[in-house]
Amino acid sequence: MSTCWGRRKFLQRLAAGALLLPGCRQSGGRLVVGFSQMDTGGAWRVAETRSMREAAAARGDRFRLLVTDAQDQTAKQLADVEDMIARRVTALFVAPREYEGLETVFAAARRVGIPVFLLDREAREPGTDYLTFIGSDFVAQGRQVAQWLVRHTGGQAAVVELTGTPGSSVARDRAAGFREGIAAAPGMRILAAQTASFSRAAGQRVMSNLVQAFGPRLTAVYAHNDEMALGAVQALRAAARRPGRDVTVVSVDGQRAALEAILRGELGATVESDPRLGPPAFAALEDHLSGKPVPPRLLLTDRLFDASNAARFIGQAY
Amino acid sequence: MSVATAEKQWQVAWVPVGLHHGTFVLLALLILVNAALTPNFATFATLWNLLLQAAPALLLGVGMTLVLATGGIDLSVGSAMALASVAAVLAIPHGTVAAMLAGLGTTLALGVINGSLIAHWEVSPFLATLATLITGRGLAQVMSRDGEVVPFSDPAFEALGQGRLGPVPVPVALAALTIGAGVFVVRATTWGRYLLAIGGNERAAYAAGVPVGRTGWIAYLVSAVLAGVAGLIETARLGATDPANIGAGAEFAAIAGAVIGGTSLRGGHARISGTAAGVLILVVISASFNMLGISYAWSMVLQAAIILTAAALQGRGSPGEGRA
Repeated sequence: MSTCWGRRKFLQRLAAGALLLPGCRQSGGRLVVGFSQMDTGGAWRVAETRSMREAAAARGDRFRLLVTDAQDQTAKQLADVEDMIARRVTALFVAPREYEGLETVFAAARRVGIPVFLLDREAREPGTDYLTFIGSDFVAQGRQVAQWLVRHTGGQAAVVELTGTPGSSVARDRAAGFREGIAAAPGMRILAAQTASFSRAAGQRVMSNLVQAFGPRLTAVYAHNDEMALGAVQALRAAARRPGRDVTVVSVDGQRAALEAILRGELGATVESDPRLGPPAFAALEDHLSGKPVPPRLLLTDRLFDASNAARFIGQAY
Repeated sequence: MSVATAEKQWQVAWVPVGLHHGTFVLLALLILVNAALTPNFATFATLWNLLLQAAPALLLGVGMTLVLATGGIDLSVGSAMALASVAAVLAIPHGTVAAMLAGLGTTLALGVINGSLIAHWEVSPFLATLATLITGRGLAQVMSRDGEVVPFSDPAFEALGQGRLGPVPVPVALAALTIGAGVFVVRATTWGRYLLAIGGNERAAYAAGVPVGRTGWIAYLVSAVLAGVAGLIETARLGATDPANIGAGAEFAAIAGAVIGGTSLRGGHARISGTAAGVLILVVISASFNMLGISYAWSMVLQAAIILTAAALQGRGSPGEGRA
């Protein structure tokens, strides 16, 4: 197989003035695939990117992975994806910040025949704008947490909800799932739902305000991710409400720090949202390249961690 | 005296004073309304909670006011917080004092870079500090392996954010001291007078023998180090460093607080006490909206309306007048 950036080839292309023209799908005989990550803030995103790099390295003789970081800006992600389409990558993995902003570039990818694999955040129409979605069922995650909380509190709790970034599908689905999960238990009440943008610092700030507002009335906290839950634990402690005893805190993600908090008795439960999407993503890509059909949704099975199993799984946590 | 001069005099005398007091009146009003409407607002626990949340922004606000007084701006303070946070947490294995020195040392270096770029290479303050904003945040994330949240356990360090001196949380005491020192420096020291002179008219100040370069340089240094202290406080409160999020957008809170408090972006003013009131107004709004269960988006709208009103009122005064 010819190389794209070998010196000889490079000079030939330079001579032909064709260096910047599309058509460079291969690098050292390997297929170049792009991964547009929306952000690298927080353990979850870091683990996801690492998993993609590792899965690509494990297939290093066949694929080379280009990674871009949109730094939590839709406009930057748009440009990142456009650049990779212009480079004519073989396939695109996209962990979208918000799906709506990216429809136009997905259409552009389709026109030039680059398959798009959507990671971790889902959108409306699999099969047309993108080939498949690989990730977790966020509604099911919210439901699982809610069911654990109903069991643990005997169906009686006044809950404060710390929600994720407004408008993100994760926040929407984890909120909806939680409400499904508590629907059958009339003793479960949601006192307030306020956003803390998936960040630990914001979780602490918002929670300290809510503790002041509700005082001893609040008995449980549901955070849309572990980071906010860990911030809430700090805020509860600062307000002399003992997390795990006076107030039950639950969340989603299953990161190592959360499992440690479970072992300390501060966090009640967390549902895993597996960031290790690299292996299933590359498996789907290989299937697609060899002509096998790829289902429109590839959902991971998420486990629930609480005091009964946290010690056993902490070695696997990210 | 002509009518025009008389009107000008009136503006000079009253608009800034009115705005200055207006900030305190608005803060008092917000507190009264919340005391009446917001459940559990009128309690000591809420008071300390609000001041604790405001403390980092108050520290940034003092530094920002000094920089704005020179006619400059410091956009890099949020990134300075993140840098101090990461540097300190990485140095914790060497002891609490080493950690704090590492944090403050890093921001000191950032301040030196800002000051040198602006004073010696005459890069515009906006561009120089925009560059250090971007580099600082990037560096903070690189230092912690791609922006990972790194937790730590060090009771002495954590006391900086979680400890109390009597009933007063340590960060609040630090903020109060800094505000006091800031007011003193602006009102009673030669450097304070130099600062306002540069902001009022840099060329005239230079002609009058004011050490323009050095004076401005020190303002950026103070701003960066205060941001470092704010970063250490946030880190100690969290018990972790979160390089992607600590201090993100903090520069806006500091600039907005200063503008609400009557410090002009055109330089020549430094109203430290006004900045403190401005920062508290923003914090009271966001905290009370949390407590009332109103969407965060509405608190942003209200905050923006207050900032715009303050800016519009300032626009009617003429630049260069008014002191702390």
